[in-house]
Amino acid sequence: MKKIVLSFTLLITSYSFSQGCSDAGICSVGNGFSNPIDSLKNQLEIGNVFGKGVEDVVYISPYISYTRVFTNHFSLTTKVTFSQASGSFGTRGNIGDAFLIGNYKFTEKNNKQWSALLGIKIPFTGSNDKINNFSIPLDYQSSLGTYDLFLGADFKYKKWNFNSAIQIPVINANGNSYFDEFSASNDFPTTNLFERKSDALFRSMYTFQSKSKKFTYKPNLLFIYHLGNDTFEDTFGVRKEIPNSEGLTINANYITNYKFNDKNSIEVSLAFPILYRAIRPDGLTRSLTLGINYRYNF
Amino acid sequence: MKKLVYFSLLLFSFLSCEKEGEFTKTTTQTIDLSSAVLLKTGVFTTTSGISGSGSVKIYDDNTQRKLVLENYTIENGPDLKVYLSTTDAPTTFVNLGNLNPSTIYNIPSSVDLNVYKYVLIHCQQYNHLFAIALPN
Repeated sequence: MKKIVLSFTLLITSYSFSQGCSDAGICSVGNGFSNPIDSLKNQLEIGNVFGKGVEDVVYISPYISYTRVFTNHFSLTTKVTFSQASGSFGTRGNIGDAFLIGNYKFTEKNNKQWSALLGIKIPFTGSNDKINNFSIPLDYQSSLGTYDLFLGADFKYKKWNFNSAIQIPVINANGNSYFDEFSASNDFPTTNLFERKSDALFRSMYTFQSKSKKFTYKPNLLFIYHLGNDTFEDTFGVRKEIPNSEGLTINANYITNYKFNDKNSIEVSLAFPILYRAIRPDGLTRSLTLGINYRYNF
Repeated sequence: MKKLVYFSLLLFSFLSCEKEGEFTKTTTQTIDLSSAVLLKTGVFTTTSGISGSGSVKIYDDNTQRKLVLENYTIENGPDLKVYLSTTDAPTTFVNLGNLNPSTIYNIPSSVDLNVYKYVLIHCQQYNHLFAIALPN
């Protein structure tokens, strides 16, 4: 019983899904259902995600996260992200978003357990960072510039986790001013005053351990459906849809966790998309990511 | 634990940088005034609380109409754009791009300068008008 009670879930972790979730957030939120703090009530986590995007863009995206377990059922996680992108436009780095997410876990019965989450994402930028006064695409921005709401649920059965979540942009503060027609590049669509639609996530994950229980492995598949075409304002101030920006992304992800002791662990994850949207103006275009993080429980 | 936090803050600040690349290098633009025809010229009037001055000239260089800022000293602001507008407010306009006094702006061929007769300097991100000119 004690194990069950203390098996709270971290809501946000470092997973580096290939859609580029270091910014959008929904990927790491959904995954967080399956990371327990075994016996201590606080957890500090630092991590970094290395990503390769479309064209020649590469990413370094560190973050720091803190989780506090308040009661037998409720925990709260905060997280701050950062991202630096480098490519033909140059290099631009900035602080990204802050996350605050609460998780409620119901009592386990017959190897079955439900949990739910509610959270928000607050952007630190308006997604309009520039290089040398040139506007740059969302691929180079550290945040999408939206205040988002997260709602999610998880069903755990034995070694399987099935979770779903929705990320809803509630307030749009995106002030991006990138125009394809003013740019020397033709590789990125216009995202002037970009407005993005919601994302829905479904993940299935299988968890197993080595005999020593030092290693935990979590292969998983992540389905993300972008629930509509995003829009932008053209040079005449007319709002237009970006065709084919709606659609499904499927990411394959393999996570390996090594537990030194009750207080210290590290985790490595490798992810890549096996299906993605035809147009991804939001810059969530990672073709391969490698994430590593360190967790300290106290 | 403190070490972890300090390390993270150090990493964040180390990566907070801006470095130009192939597509963001400043290039010097020129216009051949010997063959270009001056179509319109005007002087900027700044809005309340904004200081500085400047003028604007619109040329036709036989291939395209171009807008040039001259003696431009109006104070800088975040996310300033150059608009051609039908009125002295940014309601119906065409965005010519980021403000850079040394840039020569191309005017789309579909734009009627007798309709889009105002030139505005406008902060797009915070929707604040900085300066207005009515070239004649």
